[in-house]
Amino acid sequence: MTPQLTTQHGIGDNAPGEQHLTGEQFCELMAGYTKAAGAESTPAEAHVKACEQCSAELASLREAVTLFREASSAYADEELRSRPRWEIPARRVFTHRLVPAYWVAAAAMFLTALLPLQVLRRHSVAPLATVATSTTDGVADRSAQSDEALLEDVNSEISASVPTSMQALADPSNDETVADNESPVPTSNQRKD
Amino acid sequence: MHMGHEGIEMFPSTSLSLGSEARATPLDDLESVVALYQPRVFRFLLATLRDRDSAETLTQETFLRAWSARESFRGDCSLATWLIRIALNLARDHTRTGRFRFWKRVSGNAVDVAEVASMVPTHEGSAEEHLIAQQQVAQIGKTVAGLSSRQRTVFLLRFLDEMEIPEIATVMGLPLGTVKSHLYRALAVVRAQHESAFNNSTARRATTRNATTKETQ
Repeated sequence: MTPQLTTQHGIGDNAPGEQHLTGEQFCELMAGYTKAAGAESTPAEAHVKACEQCSAELASLREAVTLFREASSAYADEELRSRPRWEIPARRVFTHRLVPAYWVAAAAMFLTALLPLQVLRRHSVAPLATVATSTTDGVADRSAQSDEALLEDVNSEISASVPTSMQALADPSNDETVADNESPVPTSNQRKD
Repeated sequence: MHMGHEGIEMFPSTSLSLGSEARATPLDDLESVVALYQPRVFRFLLATLRDRDSAETLTQETFLRAWSARESFRGDCSLATWLIRIALNLARDHTRTGRFRFWKRVSGNAVDVAEVASMVPTHEGSAEEHLIAQQQVAQIGKTVAGLSSRQRTVFLLRFLDEMEIPEIATVMGLPLGTVKSHLYRALAVVRAQHESAFNNSTARRATTRNATTKETQ
């Protein structure tokens, strides 16, 4: 960029027609982005050194901007101080190297939880089985015996020549039988007696 | 999750100390990063939004976003530049909302330029010079507030955050020439306003001096 000094009215009592910095040059000097470290001074910089008016204006604006930065920073810092401080929680460390360790720990916990169940099962299964077996056997025996007796009774009853209910009629002379099977109503023979 | 003072969840407590497979990022040590960059991010957001509560909320949001996206930080730019870029994007989204505009109008959290000006450091100098300095700061504050969004951002990044032009271009995602152009326009306005203030203060100083001389005589 070729610096062109321009005719501007600046601060102070400079005569009209005197050459001063252009807006662009002023901006470049103000922002300070044209000069590399160790670079030669530009014509604009040379002018600022020679021109009291431009030098004063540049210094004044730089000072004002510096004050603006300082005041803004102080204000922001003050505002930040007046607010509660953030608290970052203590962080839980989770390293990928520890993943197998986590699995081992999980398996150990699972086995620990499973072990009492196994022990309990080992102790409780045998007596229960015995009791259950004996109980089942007893019930089955009793059932079988009663079935046998019932069948025996039925069989003897069926095989009898005279059914039990007709026994009284089978031998009318037998008083014991009659007496055994007496009814509240007297028979015709009894009335005759 | 951690709670900020406004009850905002800030950082997941299950943050990672990454193992050998995962890439280490500067944000792994979050506490140090916050301690180092929080004032800078807050200062930029406060100057941009000129609203204290919004500035703090977005500062927290900036670090939360940064932490969430820490894997995407490639180190192409400095961490400060990356954080300011996040903050700027958040501020841009925030100021677009009608809610922000409404609350900015009615809330008492808006930053007053006079308050900022009152923080001018008291270097060696007379009370008058201190007063003039405060007026100049207030003048710049008002002028900056009146700039367009991009001009204001460029000005603040350059003169408040003291970023270099290429860094500003990275933060704003703009070409270098565009950044320079915005900075030039912003400075032209600030210069013009300051010039009138400078002349006024010079005239005032001259008047005061004359008055003092007459009283002495």
